Amino acid sequence: MQTFGILILSGLTNGSVYALVGLSLAMTYGASRVINFAQGEFVMLGALSTVLFVTTFSLPMVVGIPMVLIVCATVGFLVERLAYRPLVRRGSQPLTIMIGTLACASIMTGTALLIWGPNQLFVPNAFSLEGVTIAGITSTPQQLAIIATFAFLMALIWFMLYRTTFGLTIRAVGIDPAVATLMGIRAETIIAFSFVFSAIVGGLTGGLVGPLLGGHVSMGIMLTIKGFMAVILGGMGSPFAAAAGGIAIGLLEATVAFYGNSFYAEPIIFGLILMMLIIRPTGLLGEWEANRK
Amino acid sequence: MLRIEGLKSGYGKSEVLHGVSMSINAGQVVTIIGANGAGKSTLVNTLSKLLPIMSGRIEFDGRDITALSASDVVDLGIIQVPEGRKLFGPLTVDENLTLGSYRVRHAPKAELTDRRKFVLDLFPRLAERATQRAATLSGGEQQMVALGRALMAGPRLLLLDELTLGLAPIVIDEMFETLERLKREGLTMLLVEQRADAALALADHAYVMATGDVVAEGPAPDLRNDERVRKAYLGESDITSD
Ligand SMILES: Nc1ncnc2c1ncn2[C@@H]1O[C@H](COP(=O)(O)OP(=O)(O)OP(=O)(O)O)[C@@H](O)[C@H]1O
Ligand SMILES: [Mg+2]
Repeated sequence: MQTFGILILSGLTNGSVYALVGLSLAMTYGASRVINFAQGEFVMLGALSTVLFVTTFSLPMVVGIPMVLIVCATVGFLVERLAYRPLVRRGSQPLTIMIGTLACASIMTGTALLIWGPNQLFVPNAFSLEGVTIAGITSTPQQLAIIATFAFLMALIWFMLYRTTFGLTIRAVGIDPAVATLMGIRAETIIAFSFVFSAIVGGLTGGLVGPLLGGHVSMGIMLTIKGFMAVILGGMGSPFAAAAGGIAIGLLEATVAFYGNSFYAEPIIFGLILMMLIIRPTGLLGEWEANRK
Repeated sequence: MLRIEGLKSGYGKSEVLHGVSMSINAGQVVTIIGANGAGKSTLVNTLSKLLPIMSGRIEFDGRDITALSASDVVDLGIIQVPEGRKLFGPLTVDENLTLGSYRVRHAPKAELTDRRKFVLDLFPRLAERATQRAATLSGGEQQMVALGRALMAGPRLLLLDELTLGLAPIVIDEMFETLERLKREGLTMLLVEQRADAALALADHAYVMATGDVVAEGPAPDLRNDERVRKAYLGESDITSD
């Protein structure tokens, strides 16, 4: 029972990270119909700029984290303005634009390498890393903060998308930007918002998960892949499907690592996901989401 | 209200409109008729600023709007019902109507309620379908959503591109009755129609387009009796070939 609890907790923690990346990928995809392959780099940027502001500049956490988010928002804005928008305006196919975001990922990793170097860095923690034991299960406040942040952001995004006029315009732009424009919606601004918002979510994720994973310039790509897998596994239907996919991957990973060996956990997980997709090509929740309402 | 002068536009480098001029007065219904590929949709989309203007000038209420963006044009009240309806298929009828009212989203709530009431009164069927996804409606119902969505914006000039395309004759008649009612209420409309007979009966003024040019114009009743126009819109021969 206790091992089971520990397993769930560690699965939920990693799963929340993948879900946060998946959520932000789905958010950008929802408005722009493009997977932003630089999304994981925002987590990296979040983790390493936390090092910069909190460790190097010795700013307190409450000042440092907002600074981190501003940096991520700015870079997210630049990705949209310098890669996405020019390509769309030239009539590029989504695939071309995705390669564009991959180029941005590469540029971000390269720039980070120049700033922070190739070594793994200790990322200061906002919450305690001391274990607290509740009902026989030991966790850390940092871990719980990650799960709570995920739950909060998912609720926030749900509310925004499905309960506000602004969210309705985001969904409309995703369905057809030209027709949304005929409603007077500034489609480009909405898409820019989705990039900036996702970048902020990425930065926050980085600041939170950095202390657990360690900050490293090449940590982004692994997270992009896991987040992308979460999106595919959950189904392209909505950010929540992606979030569910992320949690599923986290739990699966924890289980495989616990009963087997974390060394071959990855191939097993990919294999299972492949099997699942053969059985349900639209993803776990894809179809359900499409029939919503 | 609207004045177009020497408008040239097209797709990429290919020019489709070769200098179109026309004008619409407030409260008027103006129709554009012409064969497939004449450039009617190109003109409507150029007015909505979805296509770039190569040269020429568009004036609305005496103001030069040539350089405005698509959403700026909507803000002024030039609202398009696009060819092929172009609903937000995965969204509900209600959500489609709400998106239509985006232009007036800051208006008092009572005004928005009134507007919705007006639309649902015009098309009572939409009230029954309010929570249904737009893509699952019949063609006629979808066209009601398309027109209703545009009316939610409180248009000052309504651009209608082939409203009746692919609809059953009885639904077409209903649509024209609705347009008749909107005309009586004083709405200014630019009507692109395949059903030239009905369009000319409704309109005050008409333009005939062929291969990107205006080839004839005049009061609608005159064009209705024009031999060449009759031949052209009945498809007996091409207006440009004689
Ligand atoms: N997206 C496009 N790219 C390139 N050329 C186009 C495009 N859309 C239309 N055209 C061309 O522009 C010309 C005018 O087309 P348009 O759609 O404006 O005609 P229309 O009068 O609306 O015809 P219809 O009655 O069939 O709707 C045609 O020759 C067409 O081939
Ligand atoms: Mg057309």
